[in-house]
Amino acid sequence: MNNSTHLFSRRDFLNSTGCGFGALAFSALATQHSRAESPLTLPQPHFAPRAKRVIFLFMQGGVSHVDSYDYKPQLQQLDGQKLAFEDSRQKANTGQGASSQRIMQPLWKFSQHGQSGRWASDLFPEMNRHLDQLCFLQGMHTEGVAHGPATLFLHCGAANFIRPSMGSWVLYGLGTENQNLPGFVSISPSSGNGGNRNYGPAFLPAKYQGTPLGKAGSPAHNATLRNLSNAELSPKEQRRQLDLLQQLNAEQKTRYAHDTELDAALESYELAWKMQQSAPDVFDLGQETAATQALYGIGEAATDNFGRQCLMARRLCESGVRYIQVTYGDNTANPAWDQHSNLPKHADHALAVDKPIAGLLQDLQQRGLLEDTIVWWGSEFGRTPYAEKNGTGRDHNPEGFTVWLAGGGFKPGFSYGATDEFGHRAISGKVHMHDLHATILHQLGLDHERLTYNYAGRNFRLTDVYGSVVHDVLDGANPQS
Amino acid sequence: MWLLIRRGTLTWCLLLGWAACGQAAEPTAADLEFFETKVRPLLVTHCYDCHSEAKKIQGNLRLDLASGWLEGGDSGPAIVPGEPDNSPLILAIRYTGSDIEMPPKGKLPAEDIQLLEEWVKRGAPAPSPAAPQPSKKRELDLTAARQFWAYRPLAAPAIPQSAAVTKSHSAIDHFVVLRLEQAQLRLNPPADKATLLRRLTFDLHGLPPTPDEITSFIADTTSDATEKLVDRLLDSPRFGERWGRHWLDIVRYGESLTLRGFILPEAWRYRDYVIDHFNNDRPYDQFLREQIAGDLLPHTDLPQQQRQLIATTFLTLGNTNLEEQDKAQLDMDVVDEQLDTIGKAFLAQTIGCARCHDHKFDPIPTRDYYALAGILRNSQALTHANVSQWMEVPLPLPPEMEAQFAQQATQLAEKQAALNAVKQQVAALKEQLTPGSSSPGVIPANTLAGIVVDDVQAKKIGDWKTSQVIKPYVEQGYLHDDNSGKGDKTLTFAPQLPANGKYEVRLAYSPGDSRSRKVPVTIFSADGEREILVDQQETPPINGKFLSLGTYQFEVTGQSFVLIANAGTQGHVTADAVLFIPQQPVPQVATSDSEKPASTPTAQDPALVAQLTARQDELKQLTADLTDWQRSTAKRPMVMTLVERPQITDTAVHIRGSVHTLGETVPRGFLQVVTYNTPPQLPPQHSGRLELAQWLTTPENPLPARVMVNRVWHWLFGQGLVRTPDNFGTTGEAPSHPELLDHLALRFQKNGWSTKQLIREIVLSQTYQQASTESQRGLQADPENRLLWRMNRKRLEAEALRDTLLAISGQLEFSMGGSLVPPTTSSDFGLQLNSPRRSVYLPVLRNSIPELFEAFDGADPSLVVGRRNVSTVAPQALFFLNHPFVSEQAQAAAKRLLETPLSSSTERLTHAYLRTLGRNPIPTEQQLFLAMLEQAPSTPAAQQQAWNTVFHLLFAGVDFRYRD
Repeated sequence: MNNSTHLFSRRDFLNSTGCGFGALAFSALATQHSRAESPLTLPQPHFAPRAKRVIFLFMQGGVSHVDSYDYKPQLQQLDGQKLAFEDSRQKANTGQGASSQRIMQPLWKFSQHGQSGRWASDLFPEMNRHLDQLCFLQGMHTEGVAHGPATLFLHCGAANFIRPSMGSWVLYGLGTENQNLPGFVSISPSSGNGGNRNYGPAFLPAKYQGTPLGKAGSPAHNATLRNLSNAELSPKEQRRQLDLLQQLNAEQKTRYAHDTELDAALESYELAWKMQQSAPDVFDLGQETAATQALYGIGEAATDNFGRQCLMARRLCESGVRYIQVTYGDNTANPAWDQHSNLPKHADHALAVDKPIAGLLQDLQQRGLLEDTIVWWGSEFGRTPYAEKNGTGRDHNPEGFTVWLAGGGFKPGFSYGATDEFGHRAISGKVHMHDLHATILHQLGLDHERLTYNYAGRNFRLTDVYGSVVHDVLDGANPQS
Repeated sequence: MWLLIRRGTLTWCLLLGWAACGQAAEPTAADLEFFETKVRPLLVTHCYDCHSEAKKIQGNLRLDLASGWLEGGDSGPAIVPGEPDNSPLILAIRYTGSDIEMPPKGKLPAEDIQLLEEWVKRGAPAPSPAAPQPSKKRELDLTAARQFWAYRPLAAPAIPQSAAVTKSHSAIDHFVVLRLEQAQLRLNPPADKATLLRRLTFDLHGLPPTPDEITSFIADTTSDATEKLVDRLLDSPRFGERWGRHWLDIVRYGESLTLRGFILPEAWRYRDYVIDHFNNDRPYDQFLREQIAGDLLPHTDLPQQQRQLIATTFLTLGNTNLEEQDKAQLDMDVVDEQLDTIGKAFLAQTIGCARCHDHKFDPIPTRDYYALAGILRNSQALTHANVSQWMEVPLPLPPEMEAQFAQQATQLAEKQAALNAVKQQVAALKEQLTPGSSSPGVIPANTLAGIVVDDVQAKKIGDWKTSQVIKPYVEQGYLHDDNSGKGDKTLTFAPQLPANGKYEVRLAYSPGDSRSRKVPVTIFSADGEREILVDQQETPPINGKFLSLGTYQFEVTGQSFVLIANAGTQGHVTADAVLFIPQQPVPQVATSDSEKPASTPTAQDPALVAQLTARQDELKQLTADLTDWQRSTAKRPMVMTLVERPQITDTAVHIRGSVHTLGETVPRGFLQVVTYNTPPQLPPQHSGRLELAQWLTTPENPLPARVMVNRVWHWLFGQGLVRTPDNFGTTGEAPSHPELLDHLALRFQKNGWSTKQLIREIVLSQTYQQASTESQRGLQADPENRLLWRMNRKRLEAEALRDTLLAISGQLEFSMGGSLVPPTTSSDFGLQLNSPRRSVYLPVLRNSIPELFEAFDGADPSLVVGRRNVSTVAPQALFFLNHPFVSEQAQAAAKRLLETPLSSSTERLTHAYLRTLGRNPIPTEQQLFLAMLEQAPSTPAAQQQAWNTVFHLLFAGVDFRYRD
């Protein structure tokens, strides 16, 4: 039949035990299922991976790099002066070149931090204590000057065509290490700016779909998987019904002894049962010590929500989830960090994420998880060094911005690339979003040119026909492809 | 590994001829030395990683050969010898913000750029290669290309005869039996009647047969019982609902856009059109023509005109990113999406591959792509703004209805005029009553409608002066820029909005002769940003004080502000206040003047106060009347479509798909490989869509008939004769029974492209009616059942699962047509609409796909889905175990069963099985259930509970999800 897809191997234990079960007790059989898929059956990476999983901290809306990590003393000196800039939006709208814009100085004070002496503003004071662990890409550039296109480009490597999201590609390439949990989880995703396409599988099989956990704008403490419990039945009662169901299923299966799809359906019930038993534990942040919760800012009004999202990310990461996205954003057309006016509002958002992210870095480090986990922090684009229309905020800037990565074999305390003297356009060490995708895949042991899927007559890739791995930001221990 | 390796790919590169390329002049020894010592090292270091034979050749550009840069890559020649300023390579390394900047990682040092410029100025000398390199120019060899099965003309195959066929076999069976015979296989025996009935009812209606239908069909022993059944099923409106949904999979049908969740309020008309098409069995070729050019086709009556216009909604259903800022790119994105869909849906051709380069596998050159694109490019699908908008035109209506809507428009204008008149009277009376009205001019903010942001609350950039010289003004005066510091000053008016919604924005300014005539005022809203140039020498039209800047959607947490600048202005720029007037009821905010007390009226004039009160009451009444009237009058029906552009043009090749790197212009035209006779002429004054529709459906074009016949086969059997129904190219699969495919395609054309006739012939064959049971021989020889030795067992689609649950519980409603989206809905975020109607009528909201559809592989509404995935994953089990919808249906089904007059648990169980699975329980099943039922106490509540469980388990069981 059609592309029958399974969360687990097709190991046909039904055949091995003979066709049909009759009145065999299913609870006994359930133990056999716990072996469902051993790591041996996972797809193999192209070469030895340096990292096993990704946590992507998505700062939706566009954090201003010139107010956070891209220090440009010129902006202070020239504050308020009018200079000619080639504005991306204007260029896209009109094809027009340079226009006069008013320089706006950073609203937060820059100073040097850590052993690396890295410049950073005091927008993120807690994160600044971890700068020696971070690898900065300061010459980022991407496509799309509006949120919709740029957000889709960030997630799927394409602004307008329907393409699988990066997490789906990674799951397709590496499989999942935990059969009781989805392999790609998006915590509090936004409905806006591409919505479910940002964690969708597009033409990849449905099992590579990202699973949303909660949604932007709803409290993170309510976030859980759907249909994990039954409102009417006690677990014991439900297990009894499930046993009856599996006996019926086994009976119905006898007529189609060789139908692997039916085996899969039977197994899916046992797997569902196990998910019901184990998943709620993973989502229960109450199992963490008070100290750990405090580390993430849980319990403090400003940081509680994002702190929960970050702690959830660590728990999922420990449980073998391959790709975890944590979104700080909302469902509007102008998401969280989108300060076209009133740039000081960046401070509210910074307050909400600063402590949780610092806590996450520290926690991952303490538990030795940072070694093989890539933490990626960034937005769909940066912001302009000049005031939008001479007002009180900054417009979008896809031509130059900063992201950072931690762990997973990225050089700690390192900076790569630069924007021009104003922070407007990337000029050296330029890293396109395709390049960043290629580099992260590389650390996971995947060659972005070989990670392909045949659809509609041709092989598709996350990076289309573009992208190259930025080897300069990878530490020496990294095996080269 | 996960790389899919394609078998039997015929690389059409073999079909291409090579042509020789030109030669350059001989360079001098000094030139060559310059090249080798200065230039080549630069090229090696900075370019060869991506542009050389040894590494890779990006963009088809080689810089390790003179012919490489002279002939160039996808973007044309890289170097024009002697002309650095005209050489794309030099422009790219200068990093001047052109579309290509190289090297991609950063700009070269200035001295290196100079060296390369000098080299080009010298004529780009380089050693000539030992042997001439082949040119990349390819030409299409049509004769060779048409050897491939999909492009061959339809040929009537002889119906094969063999000893294995009998009189009861249809022509279809002849083709199948012969192939089986060659493999020493045979058809399975016929399915039993109950199985056949269930199969036919699901395949043709997407619903289960009722117990009565089962009883009567089994009781009917006449020889044409099955034919009567098939005709009954084909005649029912349920047929169009089922098969219309199949078609909606193909055309990426959706009723909202992912971007911002915009509702497409008129899309449902297309869905109803499709259902109506299948129910009325109109010719399929006409169906295709209508969808491509229905607005341009002649019509004989109004229903036909309406139908044809609605059909064109097909072209506008793409999940477009309206926010794309590069509008030229956006226009082309729309065309690309239309072509991709037409190619896959109607022709099963991956035309989209030829967007960036000649198709690598199929005989579709880029020129053909842009010849087609040129046709579609001449129709406008969007009107552009920051967030562009799809096109809607009025649905043509009978004259009496047209008159009614015209009358409505007049009535609306009259009512609004009456309302405004009373508003002015109220304002005048208030003016008289307000203390200080003798010094006319101070307008208290609390007398104004909506949310008022006064100038004192505005965020100021630069030096703004407060003035009270010219009255009237709001509160304490107004601001002006002193006609100085042009370009340095802005004001930001940001309201505290109480709720998301639409607001009218009004600007108060102080007009006068010294004012600027072009004040840039920008409204930032959820609709994007809109700049309006305000002429401040004009007196504002509303009460001499306010100018309406339009109505916009605002979100509380999004950008909501008005920015007034003095950039580029001559004369004073003034600003007094900005009003945000809600267009919908908003909590805690008075929306009308009348609800706010004016400043304390003077006690001296009770007559005036009485008058004011009376006028205010009248205003309230009129406002309420208008709202009621608008609510009760019908909205003018509109159609989502596209319109012909006034200027008809051809389109240039877009190199690597970019709108900014154009190649040669291509005359509009069609795919050469499937053009067998003289194609229609493309008139210079029309887009060519009409001709495209004609070319597409000419009987000589073998693809539409082959493709549709194969789709029908796929929808009936679960796999097509060609198992890649959207790809008949060389990267797709070849047909298992090519002669049968052509036989059916020709029959389809001969029978007036009748879909029902085609289905009838197929389902009356023994091939279709055979059992789905396994056989050792079959499983061994043909495990994938390509030769059709059995019927495939098919998983029910998400829609059929839902409809079946509702049918069994007795909740399903069979009303047809119309939209279920409430008219005022502005976005589909989190929108879950519950309805007991058939699934095809549930709005397809791209951000809010119902859980059941997500879990059970519903078609992705943004893609052409000729073949749905069939996944088996744990979330499906979780859905059946725990989702309240399933237990609700189980309860309703149990209640219904217990109300049916049946005498014993055994009888009830049989009835439940008939209703749910269309068969009787087998003994083991019966034992298991009866044992469970016996344990339940005999109280009504306990009985209900026990039967809930029976239905719940029947629903969750695997047989429920499959049709045999």
